[in-house]
Amino acid sequence: MRRLDPWLLLAVVAIAACAYLAQSSTAKALATPGFANRQIVWLAVGAVLMVLFSFADYRVLARLSPLFYVVTLGVLLALFVVAPARAGAQRWLTLGSYTIQPSEFARVVTILAVAAIAGEHQQSRLDFKTAARLLALTSVPAILVMLQPDLGTALTLGAILVAALWLGGLPWRTWVALVAAGVVMVVVAWLWVLKPYQRERILTFADPERALYTSGYQQRQSKIAVGSGGVTGKGLHSGTQSQLRFLPAQYTDFIFAVWAEETGFIGAALLLAAYILMVFRIFVIALSARDRVGAVFAGCSGFVLATEILINVGMVTGLAPTTGITLPLLSYGGSSVLATCISLGMIQSIWRLRYANV
Amino acid sequence: MTFVRDDLRPVQRRAAVLLATLAVAFAAILVRLWVLQVIQSPRWRTAAENNRLRRLPLEAPRGMVTDVRGEVILDNRPTYQLLLFPEEMADAARTAAFLTRIEIAPPEEVHARLEKARRTSHLPSVIADNLAWSQVATIAAHRAEYRELEIHPATRRSLPPGARVAHLVGQLGEVSPDQLTGNPSLHPGQLVGRSGLERAYQDVLGGTPGNLVVVVDAFGKQVSALDEEPPVAGRPLQITLDLALQEEASEAMTGQVGAVFALDPRDGAVRILLSQPSFDPDLFAGHLETAKWKELISDPLNPLHDRALQALYPPGSSIKPLYATGALRDGIRSLSDTIFCTGAVNIYGHPYRCWQKGGHGRVALEEAIEVSCDSFFYHLARDAGIDRLAAWARSFGLGTATGIELGGESTGLVPDDTWSRKARGQPWYGGETISVGIGQGPILVTPIQMAVAYAALVNGGMLVKPHLVEGRGEPPRPTGFPAEALAAVQRGMERVVAGQRGTARRLGSLPVRIAGKTGTSQVMRKQEGVHWQDLPWEQRHHALFIGYAPVGDPRLVVAVVVEHGGDAASVAAPIAGRIFMRAFGPRAEAQAVTASIAPGWQVTSPPPSLEAGPAAPSAPASVPATSATVRPTPAAAAGRPEASRSTSPPAAGGTARLRPRPTR
Repeated sequence: MRRLDPWLLLAVVAIAACAYLAQSSTAKALATPGFANRQIVWLAVGAVLMVLFSFADYRVLARLSPLFYVVTLGVLLALFVVAPARAGAQRWLTLGSYTIQPSEFARVVTILAVAAIAGEHQQSRLDFKTAARLLALTSVPAILVMLQPDLGTALTLGAILVAALWLGGLPWRTWVALVAAGVVMVVVAWLWVLKPYQRERILTFADPERALYTSGYQQRQSKIAVGSGGVTGKGLHSGTQSQLRFLPAQYTDFIFAVWAEETGFIGAALLLAAYILMVFRIFVIALSARDRVGAVFAGCSGFVLATEILINVGMVTGLAPTTGITLPLLSYGGSSVLATCISLGMIQSIWRLRYANV
Repeated sequence: MTFVRDDLRPVQRRAAVLLATLAVAFAAILVRLWVLQVIQSPRWRTAAENNRLRRLPLEAPRGMVTDVRGEVILDNRPTYQLLLFPEEMADAARTAAFLTRIEIAPPEEVHARLEKARRTSHLPSVIADNLAWSQVATIAAHRAEYRELEIHPATRRSLPPGARVAHLVGQLGEVSPDQLTGNPSLHPGQLVGRSGLERAYQDVLGGTPGNLVVVVDAFGKQVSALDEEPPVAGRPLQITLDLALQEEASEAMTGQVGAVFALDPRDGAVRILLSQPSFDPDLFAGHLETAKWKELISDPLNPLHDRALQALYPPGSSIKPLYATGALRDGIRSLSDTIFCTGAVNIYGHPYRCWQKGGHGRVALEEAIEVSCDSFFYHLARDAGIDRLAAWARSFGLGTATGIELGGESTGLVPDDTWSRKARGQPWYGGETISVGIGQGPILVTPIQMAVAYAALVNGGMLVKPHLVEGRGEPPRPTGFPAEALAAVQRGMERVVAGQRGTARRLGSLPVRIAGKTGTSQVMRKQEGVHWQDLPWEQRHHALFIGYAPVGDPRLVVAVVVEHGGDAASVAAPIAGRIFMRAFGPRAEAQAVTASIAPGWQVTSPPPSLEAGPAAPSAPASVPATSATVRPTPAAAAGRPEASRSTSPPAAGGTARLRPRPTR
């Protein structure tokens, strides 16, 4: 244990504590006391998984990644057949009384597969073939997830590609070509792929007064919650926006608003500091990794986590459109918590093995 | 298998750049949090409070109004209102569609109300009231969808059934923007008195509305009440009106158009204030529907017009006692002066006819009042001149508002040379003086003015201020007419009822001693040989009777005006008789007396607009009953109208205030 990174552990524990408090508050508002307890159980299980994975060898896991990847793709495909449509999407797999969201695990597996390919290609710059492989590796699960439809998770899979290409290194001409391709894809996505409600969300973000009481309503209520928290907050379980249920999706997408309303700027800044510490330590680990697999895995994981945090908090504070991206560890959801903990465990293992010479 | 360690420096460099970029983004998020939570915090806190707090206006119950004996005239009953919170309304069209679907009002009306509510204020306003149960249930069921709507219990004005007090009570209406800015205690949509008692005593009846601050959740469900500022109910108001007499007057006037006004001559306390036709005051108890409003204002009989206070009529012969008093005071006539009435007189080269074709023979002043001899008053008017006639009329309060609390009175018109030059641009024409001498020509009065003038005749010459609330009157002003003159004129008016030839002698058989004076004021020039009952309604004369009782100790003056009633003696006088019987007659006989003085108009056609209406003329007694209980009346006297002739109708240009007269 002494060889694990204490700062990263501290950040995770701090976030887990905030998660429990925030979840118990929204559980009271929604009169579902089970949610907070289940979240703390998930966090405990996640902690165990994190320790287990930190003592595993990430290099072995990376070598097994093709197997994980194929299995994951199989599960994602199977979802379209076996998953019940819930809230208009086929995202969840039912196992007894539990539901599993495979796309959360697909993210970890995809990062691992990307890292494994990076490990094979030990050059200072990516060549075309490797870049194409990375593109294929990330877009297949991204497209499958987008078809569920789950735009938020698909976007985080896109973030993996961006991070991998950046860390692998591309000539500037390729970046230009990629940006152009990205623009074309955005246009195509806007015209043919995005659902009307998703388009509406983006439009609403551009013009919040557009629909004050539909998706704009959510963001307005969220901003009211955060802003009315003030410096010191309204006190735990005393937020009017959350307790009177003006906040939408408050145990998932908008959990940060609950926290910010009840603990104020002080609480919100402390939580954000914990996240910043987490991301910072992940990048420190990426910089001190002994090999390319570890560096790319940590770098990609750190970038994806940071992207999720930034987009979610940006959405809650009105800086980003509502995309359905959850806040890692804080938002309710077992799959998300477990997947995040597994990747954090593997990052710890990178730290633990940074000087290993085997 | 290579043992050369991979060169990771490019990857590390790029990872560091990535971290730096992320750091900038995190800093931006922190700044955003600082802006929202520290800098903009007050604004968002207000928004959060507005989210959860709703300020519901608590309408104060308006005060109860009772009559002189404590009978309830105006009360409240529970009802449900619909409040709109304009800030909560996302889609006005959707809300309007919903309100139209549950039949709050027609679509245009709903749109208009929503627009108004949005414009007036961000505070909730009442957009409908008197909701039906089904509407309340539907709105409650859709509360989560239409968070801007709120059902609110309230009270509504209720009037006792059958009481015709619409004009007296007046209307409630939504507070106007002007009133709102002037009075901070009023809130939009609040109902305030717009006319009648409700307006005159708004400060007493209105009370102070309160506030209820409630916490609601996101679905509009009320979670708890935070603060309550209870409304202060309006205070009760006892007025001098006598509801029993009001009802009697209303019944007696059924099917007629006109007014009845009665007061206590000793202090001016109002006992009856009735204007016919009336309207359903419940229409004005809340939000008025445009269609019903249009129907009311397009009615040719104008039910909203308060005829007792506002309608202008030529007084006809009912003005004669006033002139007689003045003539006695100023020495124009003495009690012993007589004229010989041949049925017509010739003044200024024009013939003026007395209503009695054969003439009255030799008459002195008292007799002239009894038989309403026109010839006597033609001569009197010529000898007095228009300026004296006008001065006498003004002494009795004609030409000025009486000052009753309700306001909105017409001042009437007392013509003289000055008026003629100013209003018509021509000097007074002497022939008109003769017409004005019998209450015709340009002179116009309101029923309330005549009642006040007669009160002065019988209370010792004091001009009282009519009032509805005790203590709101003013000390009576002396008119300066000597007691002997008043006594002589009173004797004349007693003879109108009690005398052998009195124009209202049909009231002489009643157990109550009544006195008064008839007046039949001409709407059109009299047609020779045509009986009034054969004329179309709108061409008949107005019938007036102003009387008082009991003789010797008058406690009630009643002024009755029946528009196009045709004949004062057979139409207006019996109505007054019924009221006096109700006030002073023996209880047991009241019914029989009501029957005995059934007015003659019942055999004639009612006004055109009333014919089709649901209000069939009440017939407390049939015609045969009349003959059974009443002493035989000479057919000639009963049926023949008292007619006056005006030789020179006023020029159209200067008489804008005159009631339009139908042309033939």
